[in-house]
Amino acid sequence: MKNYLIAWRNLWRNKRRTLITVASVFFAVFFALIMRSLQLGTYDHMFRNVIESYTGYLQVQNKDFWDTKTIDNVFQHTPELDRILEQDNNVSAVIPRFESFALVSSGTLTKGVLVIGIDPEKEAFLSNIRSKLVRFRLNAENIKSINSELRGKFKADTVLAGRSFSSASSLLLEMGIADKDSADVMPVIRKHASFSNGYIGMGKPGALIGDRLARYLNVSVGDTLVLIGQGYQGTTAAGKYRIDGVVKIPQPDLDNKIVYLPVDACQELYNATGMLTSIVVGVKDNSDEEIDRMIQSLGSAIQPPLRVIGWREMNELMINQMDADSKSGMVMIAILYMVIAFGIFGTVLMMTAERRREFGVLVAVGMQKTKLAAVVSLEMMYIGFMGVLSGAVVALPVIFYGYYHPLRFSGEWGKMYEDYGMEPVMPFLPVDWYFLWQSLVITVIVMIAIIYPVRKIMKMKVVNSLKA
Amino acid sequence: MIWKTAWKNVWRNKVRSLVVIASVTSGVFAAIFSIAFMNGMMAQRVDAALDQEISHIQLTGKGFRLNNDPSVFIPQTEKTIDEISSTEGIASSVSRRIIGGMASTASKSAGVEIIGIDPEAEKRIFTLDKTIMPGTGGYFGDAEAKDPVLIGQDLAKELNIIRFVIDSAVISNLAKKDIPPATLGKLKAFIGTRFANEKKFNKTVSSVLSVKEKKKYFHLIKSEAWSYREGSRLTLTFLDKDNNQVGARFRITGIYDTKNTIFEISSVFVREMDLQKLTGFDKNSVNEIILRIDDIEQTRKITEELRAKLPGVEVMNWKELQPDLAMMTDYVQQIYGILMVIIMAALAFGIVNTMLMVVLERTKELGMLTAIGMNKRKVFSMIMLESVFLSVIGGLAGMFVAWIVILLTARNGINFLQYAEGMEAFGYSAHVYPEIDSTFFIMMTILVILTGILSSVYPALKALKLNPVEAIRTE
Repeated sequence: MKNYLIAWRNLWRNKRRTLITVASVFFAVFFALIMRSLQLGTYDHMFRNVIESYTGYLQVQNKDFWDTKTIDNVFQHTPELDRILEQDNNVSAVIPRFESFALVSSGTLTKGVLVIGIDPEKEAFLSNIRSKLVRFRLNAENIKSINSELRGKFKADTVLAGRSFSSASSLLLEMGIADKDSADVMPVIRKHASFSNGYIGMGKPGALIGDRLARYLNVSVGDTLVLIGQGYQGTTAAGKYRIDGVVKIPQPDLDNKIVYLPVDACQELYNATGMLTSIVVGVKDNSDEEIDRMIQSLGSAIQPPLRVIGWREMNELMINQMDADSKSGMVMIAILYMVIAFGIFGTVLMMTAERRREFGVLVAVGMQKTKLAAVVSLEMMYIGFMGVLSGAVVALPVIFYGYYHPLRFSGEWGKMYEDYGMEPVMPFLPVDWYFLWQSLVITVIVMIAIIYPVRKIMKMKVVNSLKA
Repeated sequence: MIWKTAWKNVWRNKVRSLVVIASVTSGVFAAIFSIAFMNGMMAQRVDAALDQEISHIQLTGKGFRLNNDPSVFIPQTEKTIDEISSTEGIASSVSRRIIGGMASTASKSAGVEIIGIDPEAEKRIFTLDKTIMPGTGGYFGDAEAKDPVLIGQDLAKELNIIRFVIDSAVISNLAKKDIPPATLGKLKAFIGTRFANEKKFNKTVSSVLSVKEKKKYFHLIKSEAWSYREGSRLTLTFLDKDNNQVGARFRITGIYDTKNTIFEISSVFVREMDLQKLTGFDKNSVNEIILRIDDIEQTRKITEELRAKLPGVEVMNWKELQPDLAMMTDYVQQIYGILMVIIMAALAFGIVNTMLMVVLERTKELGMLTAIGMNKRKVFSMIMLESVFLSVIGGLAGMFVAWIVILLTARNGINFLQYAEGMEAFGYSAHVYPEIDSTFFIMMTILVILTGILSSVYPALKALKLNPVEAIRTE
């Protein structure tokens, strides 16, 4: 009979023990997968948030701009440059930006803000600012009128006063309204809490302003902002802009200090006609290899003082934080696996002791020791793989559910997340390398555990074993 | 009798029992130590917030918090102070003047909160004076100094006040810290280089190091290579009482390091009297009064009392000022509660398997015991006790090891220099001193006993089901 068959049948001679050992592996793999999926999914989400809504995967900048973000480290935007960038097959968009600082004032209130000049249409490829325009805004009064009109059907929580939403779906989610009720509830909310916005466009000076900043300055659409700052090469920058729209940026620290202008108006404000601080290069394939290749090839195609900068360099701090957090998660999983490893080793130990006589007989009747060792090893491998497989199979639906319906924190928890500059959402990461890692770890544990019975078998004195 | 039998049974198969005990020991140790670690980190964060940043209770004029408007004062300062001193449980109080403004050097500027303090009085509440970086001066030194300002480490880096330099002194200091000569050799190429800013230093130096060297030594190198010229100056710009812009030069008296980037980068401290003169506000006007109380458990009670006494003043305690502090602590406790249960459950699998084995291999013996009249309850408790012994021995050993390791590591702390930047950005120090409440060990013991009992139920039931007649006949 073939080794694998013998091993398989041996497993079911002591069904209970096999099942308990499989269950312990299953348990560890299941929790490890869920924990890892949640952790990696959250990082992934944060990266996407920051990279895809703000920095992009690649930027072209003046070589000194990243280190010293002053207005003098800008560069001339030429059609030639756009052409060079667009030649690369992986480039999906070339998006100009002009970033600087200014003091914004409205009435007696003043605040330092980030002014970003954008091409309102091209920006749709990356940060899609149009989709972030505030569409609903809740306050104590409109919550009251919503609740009185919907009496009995639905009650909006007063905690939500002061929150803004840029889509009906996020509003429904945050208010805890089920899809089936939305048809009843939405018209009422629309009636009371809608917020109307315009948008900015090239050639007409106007501003978009962050939701939190707007509330701080106590301004809204139609009001005027005054921006004062330092312009290109020591000039004074000053301008008056009508607020065309209010946007809600997921990162609160950005939401607190952001003003968008059309890039041409921004260049005029800072007396830097035709200049840019950066060009965001939109990519089709965002894999690490492809990004690295583009940094190399675009980097050599463009002329100094320009350079290409990748997302890793632009997000060093975030990578550092996630790395620390990821390590702590790995330690937890390591503890879990260590405990399970002892369990597996215990099983192996018991099995070896219990079957000493059997091993003796088998060798006595002529089974080769190597074949016996192989069979015993296979048994343990089966246990390991059954555990990994069942753990993965049970974890999968949970992970996929969590991927499509991320955990979302509301109330105080949500607020705390936002205070730390994070969106209060924890999505799962679907199948990825970490699945393979779990099976690898279990395999290694099993391999180590196998050493004991294999040694025992190889050093076995048949006569003594038969007497056991 | 049952106890003794169970105890002896544990040692009938030493190796097997020891494997189970070792698994419990390592699981319990790892769990306790990681909790002590997180707990220490949280406790340090809370202490730092209370001792350096916000203290226990803050009083401001109504509406001050909305925009930090410097012309919103605490009404009737003297009466308020009287009311405070007549309230029981308050250790000390100190008042501040706060103005938003801009800090700038020749090359850079940043928005900051300028806090006017009475340096001596502040010591009664805050420990900022103990966080001054060595070699940067002191905490408001002598009273004669003209316009002193105390700034944070991260602001100093941001404004290029702290610069990075590699010279022969840095190299020789690094040599003392066990950095291999090969790495030092690479650094020697930089001798005499002044780096324009922190980012440039990071990039230039790490570009010559290998990945491994960078991981192991970069942060050591960085902590040696900074330089600061004592007495550097800083210009603070803000609006005076008539909304006119005022720019004044201040001399940096020292640089504090609180391990909290947000605080360091946004808070600069000057003497209240200097700020009062420059802004022209009334001498007796106060933006904020900060209280420290004797017993932190009384926070809520004292807050309520002050609110009732001082209707015109906004009273906020630390939990209201930074709700995330209290929440974080709760959150971590919950997470670790869950983790403990998961680890215990994983341990239980091992114990169940072993006890099942015990029952199966003693079928004959158990049959015999029942046949000669040992009642079922006794059989059940014998097996349960054996299982509890296994888990408790392991648990106690694990707790003991954890206790020793916590004692050892708490002395000097564990330093995760390579994550310092990321952790400090959230206000957490990367130098962690593990600590744990002694009540936690009691909880852990209960949990361990519970695990032992629960994991013996199935095997013990199995033993009860044995038919004595058949059991005796098994080989």
